[in-house]
Amino acid sequence: MNEMTPVAKTLPKDWETDQEVRWCPGCGDYAILKAVQRTMPEIGARPENTVFVSGIGCSSRFPYYMETYGFHTIHGRAPAVATGVKLANPDLDVWIITGDGDALSIGGNHTMHLIRRNLDCQVLLFNNEIYGLTKGQYSPTSHVGTRSPSTPFGSLDRPLTPCAYVLGSGARFVARAIDVNKNLPAVLKAAHAHKGTGFVEIFQNCIVYNDDVFAPFTDKANASGSQLWVEQGKPLLFAGGTKGLTLDTEKLVLKVVDVVDGDWQAAHVIVHEQTNKAIAHMLVEMPFGPFPMALGVLYDDPAPTFESAVVAQNAQASAGKKPDLQKLLSQGQTWQVEKQPHAM
Amino acid sequence: MTFVVTDACIRCKFMDCVEVCPCDAFCEGENMLVIDPNECIDCNLCLPECPADAILPDIEDAAAPWIELNKVHAALWPTVTSNAGQTPEDAEAFKGVAGKVQYFSADPGKGD
Amino acid sequence: MASAVHELTPAEASAHPPAESIVVRFAGDSGDGMQLTGGQFTLSTALAGNDLATFPDFPAEIRAPQGTLFGVSAFQINFGSTAIETAGDVPDVLVAMNPAALKTNVEALKAGGLIIADEGEFGERNLAKAKYATNPLRDGSLAKWQLLAFNISQLTLDAVKPFGLGNKEALRCKNMWTLGLALWMFDRDRAPIIDWLKAKFAKAPVLAEANIAALNAGHAYGETAELAGPMKQHHLAAAPAEPGLYRTVTGAESISLGLVAGVQLAGVKMFFGGYPITPASAILHHLSRLKEFGITTFQAEDEIAAIASAIGASYAGQLGVTSSSGPGIALKGEAMGLAIMTELPLVIVNSQRGGPSTGLPTKTEQSDLYQAVYGRNGDSPMPVIAARSPADAFDCAIEAVRIAVQYMTPVMLLTDGYIANAAEPWLVPNMDDYAPFPVEFLEEAPEGGFLPYARDEKRARPWVKPGTPGLLHRIGGIEKQLGTGNIDYGAANHQAMTEMRRDKVLGVKVPDQEVELGAAGGKLAIVGWGSTFGPIHQAVRRARKRGLDVSHIHIRHIWPMPGNLGALLKGYEKVLVPEMNTGQLKTVLRDQFLVDARPLNKISGQPFMISEIEAAIEEALA
Repeated sequence: MNEMTPVAKTLPKDWETDQEVRWCPGCGDYAILKAVQRTMPEIGARPENTVFVSGIGCSSRFPYYMETYGFHTIHGRAPAVATGVKLANPDLDVWIITGDGDALSIGGNHTMHLIRRNLDCQVLLFNNEIYGLTKGQYSPTSHVGTRSPSTPFGSLDRPLTPCAYVLGSGARFVARAIDVNKNLPAVLKAAHAHKGTGFVEIFQNCIVYNDDVFAPFTDKANASGSQLWVEQGKPLLFAGGTKGLTLDTEKLVLKVVDVVDGDWQAAHVIVHEQTNKAIAHMLVEMPFGPFPMALGVLYDDPAPTFESAVVAQNAQASAGKKPDLQKLLSQGQTWQVEKQPHAM
Repeated sequence: MTFVVTDACIRCKFMDCVEVCPCDAFCEGENMLVIDPNECIDCNLCLPECPADAILPDIEDAAAPWIELNKVHAALWPTVTSNAGQTPEDAEAFKGVAGKVQYFSADPGKGD
Repeated sequence: MASAVHELTPAEASAHPPAESIVVRFAGDSGDGMQLTGGQFTLSTALAGNDLATFPDFPAEIRAPQGTLFGVSAFQINFGSTAIETAGDVPDVLVAMNPAALKTNVEALKAGGLIIADEGEFGERNLAKAKYATNPLRDGSLAKWQLLAFNISQLTLDAVKPFGLGNKEALRCKNMWTLGLALWMFDRDRAPIIDWLKAKFAKAPVLAEANIAALNAGHAYGETAELAGPMKQHHLAAAPAEPGLYRTVTGAESISLGLVAGVQLAGVKMFFGGYPITPASAILHHLSRLKEFGITTFQAEDEIAAIASAIGASYAGQLGVTSSSGPGIALKGEAMGLAIMTELPLVIVNSQRGGPSTGLPTKTEQSDLYQAVYGRNGDSPMPVIAARSPADAFDCAIEAVRIAVQYMTPVMLLTDGYIANAAEPWLVPNMDDYAPFPVEFLEEAPEGGFLPYARDEKRARPWVKPGTPGLLHRIGGIEKQLGTGNIDYGAANHQAMTEMRRDKVLGVKVPDQEVELGAAGGKLAIVGWGSTFGPIHQAVRRARKRGLDVSHIHIRHIWPMPGNLGALLKGYEKVLVPEMNTGQLKTVLRDQFLVDARPLNKISGQPFMISEIEAAIEEALA
């Protein structure tokens, strides 16, 4: 490809494939697909340079609907495949599409290691708190008591908080969004801009098996009072600016305070600093109910990436060495046999 | 791709579609609804809901005349996300009636 | 032969014809450095021009409690002036560094063989640990062998006294003392060992000097000690060999080198995804040091990530390679299916070990054939190649790479723990003798448009690197449509694609099967695969020398099998298949060719003995 020719800006349509989309009518995945297709032109992505790698689940049908290179792999293993793709060609723009079951049940191990290594890629985890494709079993993020085909009397195990898990694994970028919410493209953009693993948890409505599970904070009536969209350098405010988060200095936990006449300083509301890991931990651990749901870019503090370290080490270890195969074969202690074997 | 509302909606405005739309794609005119192509996520939920079969995907031939109308008026009309009784009393009488374009009103509805 | 005083009976003479070879077994505590001693003795033997084969026999634990029976580590070497193909049925000489080593190995020593024992280690404690009620060096129980016992421990301490080492460190030089004696016994040059010691202890010259002193002392002891009878020097002529440059090589080394050669011939880079597992880790270690050859190695978090990352790399245009042993290969099964469905090139190396489950990690076996040929969900055919020796593994690795990239398929390369660890002399190949098979990535749409699942004459689909404009496409594990590669659940398509995958693998061009020894037809064929080559070959050679009508066939291509194999096998009245499993190749031969192949099975973690196969030949022809 001639790199000198200016690349024409793409349109969202350019990222659509000719495949008929087969998610259930009303599925949140449609909204996410649209958001991704809208984001691509904005980040200057090139279709031939973009690879979507997915696991197994409704989420993981995603690559078939994007006009890019795509690899629909096996349950839980997308991070491992993606690591191979990126190490083989670090110039590729790699997106991993996964779900709460794929990434945190069977794939928990690979998710942890991908993030620990900090491979430069984006991970979009479609969290619908259920197993959709296999018809409705509970997942590692389902609330206790979830009635499902495999747990007819209610699930018993405590759910995992995805953002807490990835922070614990050493994530340097953690963000949350909602499938139909307008802020999703901006969050995706920030994840892409982050050099390292850009982890985004997207609350996605499964209309058939777990409809409205997020209604307590996504419903129009609830949204304002229960969604806290964080912004770098801005105070942690919600409910139309009438409430905010501060630190209870005795217990070292967050506390919701009222903000009167917009005077958040007086209420000691915390200003969001996305490089502050302590704030990030507290935001993701806040129990929903007494606290709002923290959304947006919660943590963004880049660190060196895995593939760049591998490339650097490969170069360093190769420096000054010629790849002489014949010489390599002849290494070790060798001896020459002449025409006549020598007598002892 | 997007979905579009056709003339079959005019003077019916049954609102079943609005109830199921997961995003805020519907905009309200005086006597019909349109779909905002920038909001529609192609999720296919509204199409089977409409008693008047007024919604089509834009890739179908019959939808072609309505693409521009939806686009233009979505920009002018307010978003509507719930059924607050906007359906006119005589909606049933106008269901399936041909040639309703003559009744089309470009005026915006109330919205949410 | 090692013994000077023992007179061979005619029976013994015919059982073990006077070959110009000797089998020596070094045995000691796993902390005693037996592998090191054996390795260095091997080196000196190779440099002396003898042909050789080795057999390291490790315990499973890294360091078992000192002096225990399960902590014994042994190293056997068979060397001589004729072609050596096995590590030797029975040792002629046993070097026993402690009672436990004697206990576990002495029964295998041939009648009249020589025991060299370190008297200094035969105190009460060690005798008890080895479950000896009385000291075998004194109680006459070793009468049927020749015995030389001296206090190697004390002799070593005396030799290294000038260097002021602590007691434990000084005793660690025992293995060098013993090596020195062995070098004298078989008239070996000490110089290469001394060079090696100097290099090894470059940062601790005192230790180097102490070890060299011990080596020299052992050597001097042999020379000057007035010992009658068995302690004499043996001279073995160099074995006839093709002229050229030689080195010793283990299976792990040669597979690593073969993979490097393979990707060079293919003109692609290698991505190696691995995970530590006995006995395969050495391949990961070797390749990780070869960065200048364009190799990226990745120690993944688990076996599945190892193969998944290799598949990702193949997708991106490098050759993915992964390697493990039985239990790890089992974990990789689902991912192999993905590589088969997405038709990506991949090389999977299985260094087989005793199974099932964790099994016997340090013992050899060849019981993963079923797994290689059949072991995935669905109809998932895959080419399978089996190496027969360290030297052969080099060429097998190149072949595996070639088939993988030419047919766009994963390929399984089978080897085993024995091949991985054993060393043999290797005529260093000249890479100019190998024809390259350069990969051609598809870079632009062909006439008529781009079809990701279009086929060439080999039924291989095009290899496209992400990053290439105009050829964007998606692949995955769901059934694919012929040609387009789109998802297709249709009945006729699934039938057609399944047949296509089957026919692609069956269509892999493999050379016709040759007969290793004997004729194409006759009374009896011994058919083997993998590391049973050595014992089978020797057994058949000896039997043919006695006039028996028996031939040796050794299979490299397990799947697909050579096209002429069926007709070839049908030319024999009887077919016997010695295997270190319960009859897996036998089953495939019976299934594929409707031939009455019979099993000869040994599943003990030890290689076949030549005599075992000879006995089976006698019985079959009786």
